[in-house]
Amino acid sequence: MAKIERAQKLFLDSLNQKFKGQDIESEKTTFYNFNGVRQSPRKREFMKEAEAIEKERGISMYDPERCHLGGIPMGQRQLMSYQVSGTGTYCEGDDLHFVNNAAMQQFWDDIRRTVIVGMDMAHATLQKRLGKEVTPETINEYLHILNHAMPGAAVVQEHMVETHPGLVDDCYVKVFTGDDEMADDIEPQFLIDVNKLFGEEQAESLKAEVGKSMYQAIHIPTIVSRTCDGGTTSRWSAMQIGMSFIAAYRMCAGEAAVADLSYAAKHAGVVQMGSLLPARRARGPNEPGGIKFGLFGDIIQADRKHPNDPARASLEVVGAGVMLFDQIWLGSYMSGGVGFTQYATAAYTDNILDEFTYYGMDYLKDKYDFDYTAPSPDQILEPTQDIVNDLATEVNLNAMEQYEQFPTMMEDHFGGSQRAGVMAAACGLTCSISTGNSNAGLNGWYLSMLMHKEGWSRLGFFGYDLQDQCGSANSLAMDADRGLMGELRGPNYPNYAMNVGHQGEYAAIVSGAHYGRGDEFCYSPLVKICFADPSLKFDFSDPRREFARGAVREFMPAGERSLVIPAR
Amino acid sequence: MAYTPQYGPGTSVVAQNRRNQMNPDHKLEKVRDITDEDIVMVLGHRSPGSAYPTAHPPLAEQQEPDCPMRKLVKPTDGAKAGDRVRYVQFADSMFNAPSQPYQRTYAEMYRFRAIDPGTLSGRQIVECRERDLEQYTKLLVETEMFDPALVSMRGATVHGHSLRLSEDGMQFDALQRCVLAENGVVKYVKDQIGVPLDRAVEIGKPMDAEWLKAHSTIFHSLVGTAYRDDKEYIEYIQRIHTLRTKYGFMPTEE
Repeated sequence: MAKIERAQKLFLDSLNQKFKGQDIESEKTTFYNFNGVRQSPRKREFMKEAEAIEKERGISMYDPERCHLGGIPMGQRQLMSYQVSGTGTYCEGDDLHFVNNAAMQQFWDDIRRTVIVGMDMAHATLQKRLGKEVTPETINEYLHILNHAMPGAAVVQEHMVETHPGLVDDCYVKVFTGDDEMADDIEPQFLIDVNKLFGEEQAESLKAEVGKSMYQAIHIPTIVSRTCDGGTTSRWSAMQIGMSFIAAYRMCAGEAAVADLSYAAKHAGVVQMGSLLPARRARGPNEPGGIKFGLFGDIIQADRKHPNDPARASLEVVGAGVMLFDQIWLGSYMSGGVGFTQYATAAYTDNILDEFTYYGMDYLKDKYDFDYTAPSPDQILEPTQDIVNDLATEVNLNAMEQYEQFPTMMEDHFGGSQRAGVMAAACGLTCSISTGNSNAGLNGWYLSMLMHKEGWSRLGFFGYDLQDQCGSANSLAMDADRGLMGELRGPNYPNYAMNVGHQGEYAAIVSGAHYGRGDEFCYSPLVKICFADPSLKFDFSDPRREFARGAVREFMPAGERSLVIPAR
Repeated sequence: MAYTPQYGPGTSVVAQNRRNQMNPDHKLEKVRDITDEDIVMVLGHRSPGSAYPTAHPPLAEQQEPDCPMRKLVKPTDGAKAGDRVRYVQFADSMFNAPSQPYQRTYAEMYRFRAIDPGTLSGRQIVECRERDLEQYTKLLVETEMFDPALVSMRGATVHGHSLRLSEDGMQFDALQRCVLAENGVVKYVKDQIGVPLDRAVEIGKPMDAEWLKAHSTIFHSLVGTAYRDDKEYIEYIQRIHTLRTKYGFMPTEE
């Protein structure tokens, strides 16, 4: 290891903006003179709003100057703003709470309301069992009917109630296939065009994986999956698929063949985004805890947008992953807390993790002549223990030194868990991007943790004692119930299941292994294609930008009820 | 052959300070005198002079079962008396505070008996029987493990360990439990949980930067000793990580 110099540190702009007029390298400042909670425009907005609510409902609410610390409001120190990394957009911390950010909600809504359903089994049933003809024309007609039915409209029965299209306008179905000829015959409105959405090499590879099969990318209404749950998605979708087949192919509604179609649509042909969790987690399929890290790397599309920057693509996975897994999954679903927001935001604000990661990229170039801007299996490094140790040590030492040299950055990441997650992520990403091996990346993560803990005699909250001080021993293990390749691990992997500040970064480390190799996908070509669809409400190629738009209230979500409630 | 603890690797002053704090044979330098009454006031668990509340009758008065473990383990004074379990929690600044969370836990485990420490990034708590706690706290506050400006006793609202220091050199505390008085002495005006005290408790003058750098147990490239410079320490961590990766927790040297 040998320290290298980077001329332009990416976090400087943020620190200068956050701590305006202050020397960001000084270890001294003033406290207790910020006018408490009122220094924040957002908190003042909250107080004003609460005042109006109290008058209307007659029950007290948000009252930070009375209820916080017996009359000492927060804001005895500076309440900082944040830049969403890579966007140049500044917002307040509150704007990154998932409750306050419509883009964050829609990100999760769009995943939860999605299933992919194969059409081959249904077509085989129609052709072989029922003797029906399946042609591009019948498929297009079926898709037309399905896009009528999927949002909640009737296709066969009389005197049915239906959903208001204005409430379910985000619901639709498209198809994709690896067969260019067949794709040409599908109406463009119903087609996810692999050739247009991906670069040439990536498209060819994805098409080869899909082959002549055809898949439906189904997005049920946001409002439905919100009212019900992720397990509803495949059921809702299967119900409308079955009715649409009946209508499109003039089948008898009660004949036994319908059961085959239903079984294919509900079970045999379904790709869920998240697998079913054990009963003790009390969650069905398509809930965050069941999303494998490799699959998550395919949901995020930043590698399409930044094919020659695996670091940037991975950092987008970090941002998306920590938002879903820390803020929503662990922060609320699992813990019942109000969202572990600031554990997560540390990893996608102020360009701090970005700087640490690009330091790793520069170090790779300097010492190993590894050019991260030219991802290819040909240049990846052998994932030896010595190389992982060297990379993780240097990236971690640099990160610690940056925190030390810029006390305002340490103040920005005021909690040990924030720093631990960020430093270890930079180490893990450097190792995985360069070796193309997700488990080598995880191993780099755990060396960072040990090094961090010994250097500063502290790490994160109690949870870090659990996985991070024993992670070295399972990071390369493949034994059942003890180890697994990174792509197949997920938020419910035994050691990861209850620990904030890790899962999003793990997903990125896993993804980085593939982005660094220039792979066309991480885990599932079907998922990669499905989420490339530009008709989705959330743009999965740029999640941090979308979160920033949500923070400044520019993101328009789905599932709004304004059509059926009194005007305000 | 008797086991000789090595306490930890490293050639730096930080590494040596860590070993010193952990090693019960090393006599910690006494830096200040704090009265027993003042310790009790800052802890805030009972009024000075009041009896210790109990969780059970004294061991001598209750029928102890015929248990070999109870014969083997000698109870502490607090356990003998049936004291309740209480706590002290410290927040240590990263700007060269003399002790740091894990370091505290390690040192306490070597030096104290019947304790239950908890270690986080911004605070370290240790729980034990109340009269034992008062003795332990006295040692932790009076010796080289404490600095009045950079270490503070905080039951809750501990935020501050990683923040810049106030212009007077004090660690941030939203509750301002302790303040630097005009005479240069740090005074606790609230107990560790933040309840105002009937009278201020003087805890001594902050140590100077030179002393802090010489006594700190945290690496810090800006105000102290750079981690990178202690090569033995770094290599040792890499070795531990490598052995655990290859062999789990029962490593065999190659």
